[in-house]
Amino acid sequence: MRLSHFVIALGASMFCAYAQGADVANDAQHTAAKTAAEVCSACHGVNGRSVSPTFPNLAGQTAAYIEIQLKAFKDQSRADPDAQAYMWGMASQLSDGMIGALAAFYAGQPAAPSAKAGDPALVAKGKRVFEEGVPARQIPPCASCHGAHAEGQAIFPRLAGQHAPYLLKQLLVIQNVLRTAPVMHGVIKDLTKDQMQSVVLYLESM
Amino acid sequence: MLVCRRLLQALGIGSCVALASPALAVPSFARQTGMACAACHTVFPELTPFGREFKLNGYVLDNIRQIKGITVENRETLALNSLPPLSMMLQISYTHTAAALADANVPGALAKDGDVLFPQQASFFYAGKIADGLGAFVQLTYDGVGDSFGFDNTDIRYAKHLDFGGAPGSAHPNVLIGVTVNNGPTVQDVWNTTAAWGFPYSGSSVAPTPITSTKLEAGAGGIGQNAAGIGVYTWINNSIYAEFSIYGAAIRGGNHPLDSTQSNVIHGISPYWRLAYEYRWDRYSMSFGTYGIQAKMHPGSLTGTPTPLAGPTDRYTDTALDFQYQFIGEDHLFTVLATYISEKQKLDASFNDLFVQNSSNDLKSLKLVGEYSYQRTIGGSLGFFNTTGTSDTGLYPSGSGTPLAPLPVSGSATNSPDSRGYVAEVNYLPWLNTKLQLQYVAYDKFNGGKQNYDGAGRNASDNNTLYLLGWVLF
Repeated sequence: MRLSHFVIALGASMFCAYAQGADVANDAQHTAAKTAAEVCSACHGVNGRSVSPTFPNLAGQTAAYIEIQLKAFKDQSRADPDAQAYMWGMASQLSDGMIGALAAFYAGQPAAPSAKAGDPALVAKGKRVFEEGVPARQIPPCASCHGAHAEGQAIFPRLAGQHAPYLLKQLLVIQNVLRTAPVMHGVIKDLTKDQMQSVVLYLESM
Repeated sequence: MLVCRRLLQALGIGSCVALASPALAVPSFARQTGMACAACHTVFPELTPFGREFKLNGYVLDNIRQIKGITVENRETLALNSLPPLSMMLQISYTHTAAALADANVPGALAKDGDVLFPQQASFFYAGKIADGLGAFVQLTYDGVGDSFGFDNTDIRYAKHLDFGGAPGSAHPNVLIGVTVNNGPTVQDVWNTTAAWGFPYSGSSVAPTPITSTKLEAGAGGIGQNAAGIGVYTWINNSIYAEFSIYGAAIRGGNHPLDSTQSNVIHGISPYWRLAYEYRWDRYSMSFGTYGIQAKMHPGSLTGTPTPLAGPTDRYTDTALDFQYQFIGEDHLFTVLATYISEKQKLDASFNDLFVQNSSNDLKSLKLVGEYSYQRTIGGSLGFFNTTGTSDTGLYPSGSGTPLAPLPVSGSATNSPDSRGYVAEVNYLPWLNTKLQLQYVAYDKFNGGKQNYDGAGRNASDNNTLYLLGWVLF
């Protein structure tokens, strides 16, 4: 085989492999979108914007965070009450590929617009906790990990626009070590319930 | 329920046996989905919005390993749960009526009051996925009063989401379509305002109950499970439901092919319709709906020589309105249920046979229920029911024989179907699949009267019923 033929053949086979890979990726995305629409949407709403505050908004959530959580549901290392009641079963048969595709799908959806303003005094108090922390209790600002606008980054979840009752419940189950979250255990161990309530109202209003 | 579904109403003999409402939630589904009862139920058997989605989607959501079969074209030919979604239910009950009932065998004597049923009911279920998109709820029940074992609620359905194409996540309507095959109108319904899954979710199967009910209720006049139906439905954007079904006679036991010894046999095909709109916001959901059936029926005759079912029929047209409101909080759960059914009866066959006084009658039923639960553990319910209708000496007789002797308990001295009362319940669920219930049914009016309603000296309040229930599913 002449070198030019070899290069052409190699190029063609690489293109086919790439195209096939793209097809597989498209298939995975399509399956994830279909699963999200037909299954997950029953609780998490159309395209990840949930109606009930029992279930978190997933639209615009960071892919890394969703992936970690789905794997934690699947191996049952995340064991708060709602995780056990709802997500242990739902995640039990998800493949790693499907988990990745679902995470990418929700990360790609526009975040839920906030419709709740909250009590202004509490929201202002929550904003201070979020941006400045509680120095007297050695609680660092939430913004340092979750981003200045609570938009989330990598493994640190997006909190902006999330349902306040859901966030409050997560803070409580993490503080009570019903949900494992290594960084957060130390950060919020001295956060009071009042401070929790104000910060979640601020986050919901964002 | 298996008790005395075949009614003697058209012959003018009212049923005096209560029909405990069939109402179940099954651990089969929990086994299949891996989700706790609370995902689908507020307090079983009442459904949450997710529970309604699960049923409408054909009971097929599965989270257990599947035994699969595919063709070389990758078409799925089998998707079977590796473990069958089976479960069992047991109900143990105690019934005490305010005044003892007349003994069935000794004229003038009273029967023992305080009836323990162990079990009142015991059921086996297959409830879950059969194949991709196809699922079933099949219940086999042993009935403690009838000492019999047989088919109970059954709903087999196929559902599929329409694929509108487009990019993943692109906006398009979420449209589910489905087909249901079931053994009685409202067995397929997902709101707890309808009879098959309505309040009270369990009741005494030995206490007296009013002389009649509409065709779409679980009481003495209801079609119940004496029918087989097939229907198509759609569920659009998780809010709009539309269904059209047809029902035909499917009576178990007795003479087959069906003849005049069977009572209330559906003639031909009866159309059934259902429309509902559900709106969900925050932790709330609210639905408004209508449903109804038009059934032509042969009244039948339990005496004489069997003859073919032919000739004129009785025509019943039921039109119902329903409303449901739910609040599902972390600690507090509230539900309001309301149903109004108007039934028009055109009784050509019964009138020709001199079974009834009037060729046309009306019957109306109103039910209002409020429910509360604290952390799905302790709760209570209060219900109001009111049935009114045209008086008829044939349908609601004051007596039998010549000379006319009163019909104790089941008769109506005023030939009226009017009954009104309250149901109060206290429930304690030490575990999500175990319910201990205290229920009290108080009658303000029974078969047309408050005092001496049967002409034999019995008052409506004599039928007030204390009912204790232990109900466990596993």
